[in-house]
Amino acid sequence: MHLSRTARIALRTGAGLGFAVIYVPLLLVLVNSLNPDRSAGWPPPGLTLHWWSAAVHNSGARDAVWVSVKGGLGATAIALVLGTLIAFAVARHRFFGRDAVSFIVVLPIALPGIVTGIALNSAFGTVLEPLGVGLGLFTVIVGHATFCIVVVFNNVVARLRRTAGSYEEAAMDLGATAFRAFTDVTFPLIRSALLAGGLLAFALSFDEIVVTTFTAGPGIQTLPLWIFDNMTRPQQAPVVNVVAAVLVLLSVLPIYAAQRLSADTATSSRV
Amino acid sequence: MTTTDVTTAAGRGTVRRLAGTLHRRPRLRLTLLLTAPLLWLAVLYLGSLAVLFVSAFWTTDSFTSEVVKVWSTDNFHELVTTPVFRQVVLRSVGVALAVTALCTLIAFPVAFWTARVARPKLRPLLVVAILTPLWASYLVKVYAWRLILSQGGLADWMLAPFGLSGPGFGLPATVLTLTYLWLPYMILPVHTALEQLPANLLDASADLGARAGRTFRSVVLPMVLPSVAAGSVFTFSLSLGDYITVQIVGGKTQLIGNLVYSNIELNLPMAAALGTVPVAVIVLYLLAIRRTGALNSL
Repeated sequence: MHLSRTARIALRTGAGLGFAVIYVPLLLVLVNSLNPDRSAGWPPPGLTLHWWSAAVHNSGARDAVWVSVKGGLGATAIALVLGTLIAFAVARHRFFGRDAVSFIVVLPIALPGIVTGIALNSAFGTVLEPLGVGLGLFTVIVGHATFCIVVVFNNVVARLRRTAGSYEEAAMDLGATAFRAFTDVTFPLIRSALLAGGLLAFALSFDEIVVTTFTAGPGIQTLPLWIFDNMTRPQQAPVVNVVAAVLVLLSVLPIYAAQRLSADTATSSRV
Repeated sequence: MTTTDVTTAAGRGTVRRLAGTLHRRPRLRLTLLLTAPLLWLAVLYLGSLAVLFVSAFWTTDSFTSEVVKVWSTDNFHELVTTPVFRQVVLRSVGVALAVTALCTLIAFPVAFWTARVARPKLRPLLVVAILTPLWASYLVKVYAWRLILSQGGLADWMLAPFGLSGPGFGLPATVLTLTYLWLPYMILPVHTALEQLPANLLDASADLGARAGRTFRSVVLPMVLPSVAAGSVFTFSLSLGDYITVQIVGGKTQLIGNLVYSNIELNLPMAAALGTVPVAVIVLYLLAIRRTGALNSL
């Protein structure tokens, strides 16, 4: 389409503004973590690293990071196993209700988090409480795994669709058992998809707040819960600023890694 | 032959037999693959959802807050007849629609530039630039807008030379923040659609005498619309279910999610009934969108 000079300039300005809108808030978070003042006024009266050292020694934030890491690892492990199993079933078999299975996988992330949250909360209440098991980190992991399955599934199923089953058949023709064919042929083929899916699942779990609110037991505070709790406390604001800045910096890592691992993951997987 | 050799050989035989059985019987293989995931998703997850929606038809003892398991449609009746509920539902749908419209409006110039105007070498990098904020923490992004919109914050500072002040916390702030949160979900599909638009169609349109504006209206827009619809599924449904953003930048604004949240402790059946509203609206929206064929491009 031939665009006039004015249209070109208008588009460039519009796109520039769009990108500014996307990145200015993130940059603001970074700058604000160096703000010596407790209020969020702009422009900051100066720059200091004082709050960064204060944040390192903040036990609440440190504990919350640790809880989030444990929860994320647990949820990712479960999601990896279940997501891969479903991906193999859907990609390598034809069966009645295959579309329904792909639909159920997406459902936990398609429905509002609060609906999933209260549904799991009341289910845990009725099923686990009589057994003497209360809400805790375990229930957070179960809740997170439920909506993390989809990212692993998406990655693995995309990879399986692109690699024909004939590789495994060739391996078995050459005398390998089904297990041997899996470990020597199939697994290496899907390894990077598993890694990408696992990474995305962990990031999703690490960031989740709504389902966490309803599945975390007393005393279990993940990092998002901690941030939400302390966001409105002026006393804690500088430390929250630093934690937010760290999270902005860290968010570049998963996207970078996922892009390197497989081109088909990054766009489709956070669906 | 030593005993260990014998046992490993026997073990290998068993493995071989097991593998053979699995290979010959695809149904068994399928059952083994699906049992655990379906127990998790269909029994645990769908089961919980089903119980929740059934409980929407129960009531609560107003003295003890205990759930009374007697079938009634009182909650839904209350939902439809109480003005506050109606207002909040309409406001939530309005917010979701406004967010979707704003996202579309911002996404078009950005996507058009990244897909067709920017230098081709730069384009993959630009896609990454759109994707990266998607992975920044949800809470941090909302917090960023709290900082921007707070009193004496960036918004006030930027508008001060014009004699204006920022919108503060409230409904406009909620719409702005939600737009910011879900914008990449709209830019990406629109970018992909524009990128795949065949250049010769645009040339043909120009050859037939259409100016850029006419080509955009008659050629580009109809071909990109399904992708806009696909993106709107995210912007719409994510906005409709949100209640955290409203709590942080919404001031006293209440959306449907807040109502669900505030009812959980005292009246779970009512919360469940309220929870069916966003689900129903989202399902209706999906059904409407399906007619455009957009769901196939998700």
